[in-house]
Amino acid sequence: MSSSHAKVAVGASKDSSFLGGRIPSEIEIMAKQLKDLDQEMFRKILKAVVSAIEGKDCRDAMKAIAENAAVPEERLSYVVAGMYRLLKEALRIPTSSLKQEVFKEDLRELRIPEEFITDFASVVFGNRRTALEAVATQQGPRLPSLKDFRWRVDVAISTSSLARALQPSILMQMKLSDGKAHRFEVPVSKFQELRYNVALILKEMNDLEKRSVLSIQD
Amino acid sequence: MAAIITETQSIKEAVTSINTIELNKFSRLLSRILQKLHLKEERTFSEEEEQKLQSALSLDKQDLSLVLDTTAFILEQAVYHNVKPASLKQQLEKIHLSPEKAEAFCQAWTAVCPDVVEKVRQRIFAPKKLEHVGWQLNLQMAKSTQAKLKDPHAVLELGVRNEDSQSVVEKVFVEFSHQELLQFYNQLETVQAQLDSLT
Repeated sequence: MSSSHAKVAVGASKDSSFLGGRIPSEIEIMAKQLKDLDQEMFRKILKAVVSAIEGKDCRDAMKAIAENAAVPEERLSYVVAGMYRLLKEALRIPTSSLKQEVFKEDLRELRIPEEFITDFASVVFGNRRTALEAVATQQGPRLPSLKDFRWRVDVAISTSSLARALQPSILMQMKLSDGKAHRFEVPVSKFQELRYNVALILKEMNDLEKRSVLSIQD
Repeated sequence: MAAIITETQSIKEAVTSINTIELNKFSRLLSRILQKLHLKEERTFSEEEEQKLQSALSLDKQDLSLVLDTTAFILEQAVYHNVKPASLKQQLEKIHLSPEKAEAFCQAWTAVCPDVVEKVRQRIFAPKKLEHVGWQLNLQMAKSTQAKLKDPHAVLELGVRNEDSQSVVEKVFVEFSHQELLQFYNQLETVQAQLDSLT
């Protein structure tokens, strides 16, 4: 009675893997394919996949690996797909939520060989982590951001309607990350409005970052 | 002060017509023209209004448009040189405008002069002008590449009006993270410092 209770208790305390309730199929298939893969080859493939996640062009590396006849192409594609998915899912979760031990435990459940688990863990929790996280921040859906901002303050001395105008105005040029450039004139009053609003948003951001909503640990 | 109006033939004809108009009708005409003076594109009077004016002031079409154009011209010159009311009166009497009409001009001018000059001064002509600033502050909780974020993000909506399309305002959306917004703000502060150094 007590032993079966204990069993149930142990089963309940371990939540589903960091990969979610249902393991993605490409990872399961990869796990099977990794069985008699040579570690040297594994490491080469891992390196190529990591540079792909970083956004670098890895076509040459992949080509070199594929040409090595030791691994049939079909098997290679399963392994690459699985690795990519596994790493992406692991990198998505911040290190405060997913600890290394739990990660390794989850991979053991998938019956991935121990040496490979160590290699995976060194990518996810090693010093390459910050670079990989930076790439993830940049990607993802975004409205265009400001790439370049230039401005000019002019004073109109005289116009066709007014001999002595002496009116300052501001010309702004904004280059956005989607490639578009916008150039427009800003009357001084509108500029004040813009400046006031930006300051207001910054103040609200500061307040938001201090609030207890953000100190909820998850 | 240099004469702002030279007495050309058409001015003479206009003055003759103006002098025939009843005083209060003329004063109302003056204030109406002054109201719209700073707006470049708009006609002061619509077609039907002009026809009504023709009968009200007993002027034919040509004379009416001469009167309207000349009055507007005199006022525009007054704005351009920023003349004082007294000086304006003098000049009007010089071109043989009747004293009562000159007085009417003077009074109307005194009433609205600083406003009109200020409005004209504020008029910028540039192909595109910033008209509207809107914003939204969002807290990004997650995205497809990252889970469990708590990232404040701001979106600025800038309404830019094109000079030729009166009704269409182009909306420019720009997204900022906290760091990016801070950078932008520092640049705006530099612009402000430049503006302050002008006064």
